[in-house]
Amino acid sequence: MRKKKIDAFPYLMCLAAVVLFTLFVVLPFAVGVYTSFFKWDGFSDMKFNGLKNYLYVFQDDIYWKAIKNTFVYAILVTVLKNVIAFFLASILVKNFFGRTFFRTAIYIPVTLSYIVIGILWVWIYNPTFGLLNSFLSAVGLDQLILGWLSDARVALFAIIAVDVWKWIGYHMVLYIAGLQAVPKDLYEAAEIDGAGPLAKLRYVTLPMINSTIVINVLMSITGAFVANYDIVYIMTDGGPYHSTEVSLTYIMKTAFTDYNFGKANAMSVILFLMVLVFGFIQLKFMSHEDVYD
Amino acid sequence: MKKKISIYHIVCAVILLIMVIICIYPIVWMFFGSMKDKAEFYTNIWGLPKQIHLDNYIAAWKNADLGRRFINSLIVTLGSMCIMIPVTSCAAYAVARLNFKGKNLIYMYLLLGIMIPAGVLGIPTFTVAMKMGLLNSHFGLMLIYAAQNIAMGMFIMRGFFISLPRELEEAAMIDGCSRFGCFVRIIVPLARAGVATQVIFNGLTIWNDYFMANIMITKDELRTLPLSIANFVGKHSTNYPELFAMLTMATIPVIIVFVLSQKSFIEGVAAGAVKG
Repeated sequence: MRKKKIDAFPYLMCLAAVVLFTLFVVLPFAVGVYTSFFKWDGFSDMKFNGLKNYLYVFQDDIYWKAIKNTFVYAILVTVLKNVIAFFLASILVKNFFGRTFFRTAIYIPVTLSYIVIGILWVWIYNPTFGLLNSFLSAVGLDQLILGWLSDARVALFAIIAVDVWKWIGYHMVLYIAGLQAVPKDLYEAAEIDGAGPLAKLRYVTLPMINSTIVINVLMSITGAFVANYDIVYIMTDGGPYHSTEVSLTYIMKTAFTDYNFGKANAMSVILFLMVLVFGFIQLKFMSHEDVYD
Repeated sequence: MKKKISIYHIVCAVILLIMVIICIYPIVWMFFGSMKDKAEFYTNIWGLPKQIHLDNYIAAWKNADLGRRFINSLIVTLGSMCIMIPVTSCAAYAVARLNFKGKNLIYMYLLLGIMIPAGVLGIPTFTVAMKMGLLNSHFGLMLIYAAQNIAMGMFIMRGFFISLPRELEEAAMIDGCSRFGCFVRIIVPLARAGVATQVIFNGLTIWNDYFMANIMITKDELRTLPLSIANFVGKHSTNYPELFAMLTMATIPVIIVFVLSQKSFIEGVAAGAVKG
């Protein structure tokens, strides 16, 4: 009997995706892990030095500061974005005149690049000519006037505020979509059972939009770990005195200012391990889906 | 009872208005600032410009060579889409609607991209691109953006393909369509919404990206908009009205496109994320 011929068509369809993904995601990832075990300036010959890069990383005080900042950044950004966005979404989910206008206006900062937003806010935070301080002095709160980005105590929070400002609209839109999918009769049933607004929130809304919450939280956390380079770089580049240094800015400096690619890659691997659990949850979430038979 | 509801509505309206002012005023203020002259920029911080100075725009356009930056950004963004959409559509179609050995393995392999974010890949991607001679190349940057978005794109497209009825291919093939022809002519047009979701989901991210573009591109004439704006700040940091004119020119097209298409835009974003 003749062996059944393998049908090449499905494999050809997948070929380009597999090749592209392997060359520009898997290969760089492998190169990153591999070179983290070498002493290397990125250009000349590599010298194996085992786990020394990781040791250097853990002995580096600035690195620990960057990690602490990254966690503060991630936690604050996640809480603020989600609480404010959920609150606005619960107002905007109802149909009323001007709803589209409000939704569109609040969404506009999402469409702008971090670079543009960063430059704009550096000027808003400017101690002498900036919008914020001149507003504070206009309303008589002169004692609050600060060099928002030059004061090491507040600079990180000033950047966090901008990040939250940019993304509120995005998370709000996702929460609106989630809230719209909650069946109305559940609320009616809860009302008949005598549930007040808080009980309805606790026992109907939150459980029903569980997956929306998971997605929003995952996106804000991973964003804060691996996508905040642009905004921090343009606003302070980690300064003053590393008070706004985050993992990514420090990795970039280690690679392209100090030319220590080995150590930079070791830090990238550590960063990967830190977001791994979030990526894993998201992957689980995505592959848990209806299967086509 | 009725009065209580109206107070609630007023509070909501006030909150929304404050939110809109916080979101929009900085952008309006950037627009005002771009039309002031240097002296007025520092003295009249809040208000409308007393006299409109459009020469800031001309100077910014010339000094930053903005025309070329727009073209560079367009090439990179559209190019990435032209690679990403066919590649993810083909693979997602195979995974969603064909039966073959190793299909789940291939799908899971590509989905791993979700766990490897671009931020982690920055430095080693530089090394790999350098070895391949892809540094300072728009094509190289396109390949990298496309590759990094394959997992998400596959996921979105697969969702759309799976929901189409199975009889479609059979009917088309009875009519004498080849398998690939049937995919291109019948299936892809039906998954238009999936393509739109991908465009909306990734187009803006790529257009606005600084991190990866900064790693890949150092030649001035190849710089995209975000790169050249960041570079301009370093060089001309004293001329703020001109800088603001540049920011305005870089942002207004995006805002206009967004406002005109906001309905499908916002739906696309919600669809992409809820599926993702």
